[in-house]
Amino acid sequence: MIMAKNLRNQINTIVLALLAFWSTQAFADGADEPGLPQLDIATWPSQLFWLVVLFGAGYLIMAKVVTPSIGAVLEERRIKLDGDLEKARRASSDAAKIRADYENDLEKARTEAAKFAKQAAIEASREADNAEAKVRQKLADKVTKAEGNLAKAKSNAMGNLNDVAVEAAIEAIAALTGIKTTSAQASKAITSIATKLNKQEAN
Amino acid sequence: MSNSGGMHSPVEQFEIKPLIELSLGGYDISFTNSSLFMLLAMGVSAIFLFSAMRRAEMVPGRMQGMAEMMYEFVAEMVRTNVGNEGRPYFPFIFTLFVFLLFGNMIGLIPYSYTFTSQIIVTFAIAAFVFVGVTVIALFKHGLHFFSFFVPAGAPKVLIPFLIIIEVISYFVRPVSLSVRLFANMLAGHTMLKVFAGLAVMISGAGGLAMAGSLLPFLALIGLTGLEVLVAALQAYVFTILTCMYLNDALHLH
Repeated sequence: MIMAKNLRNQINTIVLALLAFWSTQAFADGADEPGLPQLDIATWPSQLFWLVVLFGAGYLIMAKVVTPSIGAVLEERRIKLDGDLEKARRASSDAAKIRADYENDLEKARTEAAKFAKQAAIEASREADNAEAKVRQKLADKVTKAEGNLAKAKSNAMGNLNDVAVEAAIEAIAALTGIKTTSAQASKAITSIATKLNKQEAN
Repeated sequence: MSNSGGMHSPVEQFEIKPLIELSLGGYDISFTNSSLFMLLAMGVSAIFLFSAMRRAEMVPGRMQGMAEMMYEFVAEMVRTNVGNEGRPYFPFIFTLFVFLLFGNMIGLIPYSYTFTSQIIVTFAIAAFVFVGVTVIALFKHGLHFFSFFVPAGAPKVLIPFLIIIEVISYFVRPVSLSVRLFANMLAGHTMLKVFAGLAVMISGAGGLAMAGSLLPFLALIGLTGLEVLVAALQAYVFTILTCMYLNDALHLH
């Protein structure tokens, strides 16, 4: 009956039995040895009572004060870190965009400059060609004009020479033969001679 | 106990001594040495955590860092073992871990008392966890909870036996949970006491024999280090098993 009363709280009979066995084995130097103090049921109500009270109080402190305050700090830090990371990410993407824009602009400017250079070269060469053509034309005109002048001067000179020749011929004829010839006759004769000479010269 | 050479009984340290006699409804609820160290464990941890977070800063100092580390440690444990549904139970798990950790650690200080070496204390906590977890499971899943005892994909013939095994293993949980912590504390502190007692006893012999006490003394130092590890580890094991039981209750396998 006493044993049954002691084990009324049989929550884990086997364990208690094993512990009791162990304790009696280890410290069995007296029949009145109480064994493990843990198995003294008389101390249990007090331990349970204070466990409930102190653990309960501790739970309230942890649940209401400690964990919310730590959690709040961690949450705040997480938000701040996330915000900062987001900011950094945005700044980085902005920088990348600016860089891309810059490179784009640079490329555009480069192509435009190349285009301008090409156009300028074409224009310059065209202008040079124009100028050259103009100069050539002018020179050609000058040459033509000079040639014209030359021809005119030559024919003038030729005409004068004919006149001189006619007079000389008339004088010579008159002096040699005393025949008076008209300038028309003389001129005709000279022209025919000149033609003949010219022909010979040409041959 | 009258052992040779004035050696105290190694289990004497577990004796409950009333400090303030109290009684309630015929029960003895005296404030004892065990209660005092329960109060110390809870009080020291609460004061430590509270003062660490009193001037909480974005960049934590040493104290705040330790408090946060403890919080994160338990939070991570709950997150990985229970998941998001474990959130409401986090304060309890945290209190449990802190209570056991500080209880075990303070208990290692010489002349102090280790309340976790009391089977009634560890069993009460384990039973509370067991009952609480079962109630949560019944509330969440109703009768479907009992499918927990039927392993999925087992051959039909084996199912009755498996159900018996599962039910037994389920009800053994509070026992194994409480006995693990209790037995570790009991064995560790007993061993420390035995070696300490041996060292004292041998040194009492005087003369050259005193040198012989060096051996148990060195063993004692090593064991103390081991016990610090055990103290932290057992608090962790108790807490993580509580998390696993809670996970079973919330997710049924």
